[in-house]
Amino acid sequence: MKKALTSALVAVCATALAACGSSGSSGSNGLSASGGSSASGGGTTIASKLVLGGSPEFKTRTDGIPGLERVYGVTFGSYKTLDAGGPLTINALKNGQIDAGDIFTTDPSIPANGFVVLQDPKNLYAAQNVLPLINKAKASPGVTSTLKAVSDKLDTNTLAQLDVHVITDKQDPAAVAEGWLAAEGLNKTGTAAQGVSVKIGSANFQESVLLAEIYAKALQAQGASVTTRLNIGSRETYVPGLKDGSIDLIPEYSGALLVYFDPKATAVSSADVYAALQKAVPAPLTVLGQSSAQDKDAIVVTKATADKYHLVTIADLANNG
Amino acid sequence: MPSPVSPHVSPGVAPRVLPPVAPLAQDSSPLGMFGYFNDHRDEVLNWLWYHTWLSAVPVVAGLLIALPLGWVARRYRWTYPPLVTAAGLLYTIPSIALFVAMPDILGTQILDPINVAVALTVYSVALLVRVVADGLGAVPDDVAQAATAMGLTRRQRLLKVELPLAVPVIAAGVRVAVVANVSLVAVAGTIGVPNLGQLFTTGFQLSVGSPYYPPITLGIVLCVLLALALDLLVVGGTWLATPWRRAVSGS
Amino acid sequence: MIQWLNDPGNWTASGGILDQLWSHLQYALFALVVATALALPVGLLIGHAGRGRWLVTVANAVRALPVVGLLILLYVMLAPHIHGRGDTVYLLPTEIVLILLAIPPILASTVAGVENVDPAVRDAAAGMGMRGGQVVRRVELPNALPLVFSGVRSATLQVIATATVAAYLGLGGLGRFVYDGQASQNFAERDAGALLVAMLAVAADLVLALAQRYTVSRGVSGRFSRRTLVGDPVATADAPPSTHTA
Repeated sequence: MKKALTSALVAVCATALAACGSSGSSGSNGLSASGGSSASGGGTTIASKLVLGGSPEFKTRTDGIPGLERVYGVTFGSYKTLDAGGPLTINALKNGQIDAGDIFTTDPSIPANGFVVLQDPKNLYAAQNVLPLINKAKASPGVTSTLKAVSDKLDTNTLAQLDVHVITDKQDPAAVAEGWLAAEGLNKTGTAAQGVSVKIGSANFQESVLLAEIYAKALQAQGASVTTRLNIGSRETYVPGLKDGSIDLIPEYSGALLVYFDPKATAVSSADVYAALQKAVPAPLTVLGQSSAQDKDAIVVTKATADKYHLVTIADLANNG
Repeated sequence: MPSPVSPHVSPGVAPRVLPPVAPLAQDSSPLGMFGYFNDHRDEVLNWLWYHTWLSAVPVVAGLLIALPLGWVARRYRWTYPPLVTAAGLLYTIPSIALFVAMPDILGTQILDPINVAVALTVYSVALLVRVVADGLGAVPDDVAQAATAMGLTRRQRLLKVELPLAVPVIAAGVRVAVVANVSLVAVAGTIGVPNLGQLFTTGFQLSVGSPYYPPITLGIVLCVLLALALDLLVVGGTWLATPWRRAVSGS
Repeated sequence: MIQWLNDPGNWTASGGILDQLWSHLQYALFALVVATALALPVGLLIGHAGRGRWLVTVANAVRALPVVGLLILLYVMLAPHIHGRGDTVYLLPTEIVLILLAIPPILASTVAGVENVDPAVRDAAAGMGMRGGQVVRRVELPNALPLVFSGVRSATLQVIATATVAAYLGLGGLGRFVYDGQASQNFAERDAGALLVAMLAVAADLVLALAQRYTVSRGVSGRFSRRTLVGDPVATADAPPSTHTA
């Protein structure tokens, strides 16, 4: 009955809204197609026929739309402002509101929906290793070694698996964190972080919540007194929060954090990004040892779109279609 | 399918780690909220507690500020239009913008709960100044004259006659402010302030592909219950504060 | 912020201020028109018949629904059912929320407006041989108009301020600047967006005030000048009869 009700609602309101929705000035921002310097000369590129969706900041970020144009000569027909690899972007890609999305590579919805991750041969997207961003005052040797032990055990496959538990199976991030720490023997009680009180934050997506819980439980096991402030929002909100002492520690991604602090950064490999990041992070913050787990930005399309236009890499989008 | 740059797990690969995790209620329908509540009881009650405070305290603070302002607007008539207009202007500022701009205005920490509390107080004042002014003005002339004739000073008349008689009107405004606040507090949840709004963010994030209703419906139900409870509290308080109305309507 | 507003490029660009202003206005206007079309006739009927006042109570209870929660619930519910290009999947939840928000003040103030019509006036109309429908249209509606307007104006302020959240779901409107500015650390853009929303609300209120002046019969506005001072429609509607001094 609910379904019938829903579709009736849709039918009635969709008609009524048609006039309202047809105005071109909604979230989509027309990107002038003239800028599309097609790799194969004149004509219309594949990208110019497609709608890209992603976060508000992707529109202006160095490795966002400007990066796609600079590195690959790819200019999409239009850009739809949605969210940072969240439910809006994924649902829009699945249901055809957009043709391509900026989605993160560990997202379980990629394999679940058979989405195709376009390869990035020119390394537009830098390495994105998971690491703790922390207030120096809290980075005692005990805290540092506890978090290093966590980072050493975390790799990309593990992270993707844990994401499946949280996002697909709807398990509690705290319980998933605890389970993994137990499986890795990282929950043994100790005194390394005794006497330290840490306020741990997370960004507003589930993987960040999970990583924050992992840090929290590991530090708790080592005697730290931990409070959490989860789902704070985007980097633009929580980094100032770290600086002013609202929180002390948050899980981060090396490449994105580097570009945040230094928009002109060009480092690509894990080691280079990490080295550049250590220099770029301003006081009173610092980054601790990075894990091998990566969760990168990627341009993702549906299987149907990939097949239709023979898309394998981002560069293919600049071909004539 | 996995390309060199897509390090996600391919479906066929056996997971390296399968941590033992207590299974949660798998019901993703709206009614799954009961199971969800059981699994997250401490967290949700904590959010409910914060939500209650953030909904109630700014209204009380707002009323305390609006009472003198409303009195001024009534006592010195020329101040009524500018005061009420300014209050109306404040109410048109979108809440999300006020929440995120508050640290710049106050110089507070970015995640300080005081930011949201102050922003909500601003809205409460904006709503209540006019209500207080109009409530004080709604006292019938003959009553005011009778009070003067009985020898009450201006101050006595305000405290003993005008203010008590204005209580029902002011209370009606307070009810609106409290109920509106419950909804506004949830907006602050989307920027990380711990309250029931976090249930919406969580449910939203977990609704990829197919809807995951439990946290969303739980949040809505708890918000509505909280709004009703606070509303009843105001109604009850009004009832206690206006014994003369009971004497009349009870007969 | 002033600098951002002064840059003509920010106004005329695709997705610039003019575009988003127009979108914002469309979202708000659609919701207000639908809400008025629903709440005004129903409110007139309730006030006229003196029955069904529970509907006002129900509508007021709707105010207790958290806007973000409702928006997310509706989006999540509708998303799997709407396929293909276009903004319908974002517009539908937004408009439903805005309409639900606009109905209670309009309904409550319409009912209060009709109920406050002097019974003697109503009797006189009946005495002149008017039928029920005529009484509603020619006597009760004109007399209730000041309060109806105050309800519509209060709904307008709320809807314009709340339409900002449309951007949370990826729609346009002035909320775009608030969310984009925050996300890309362009705080001038963010604050300018908030200011534009407030200014749009004020402008809309002025237009409605003007409309009120030209549509309300002078006899009514003169007679009800005390009443229009009691501005908040909700306070008026919920206030006990003892405070009605008209």
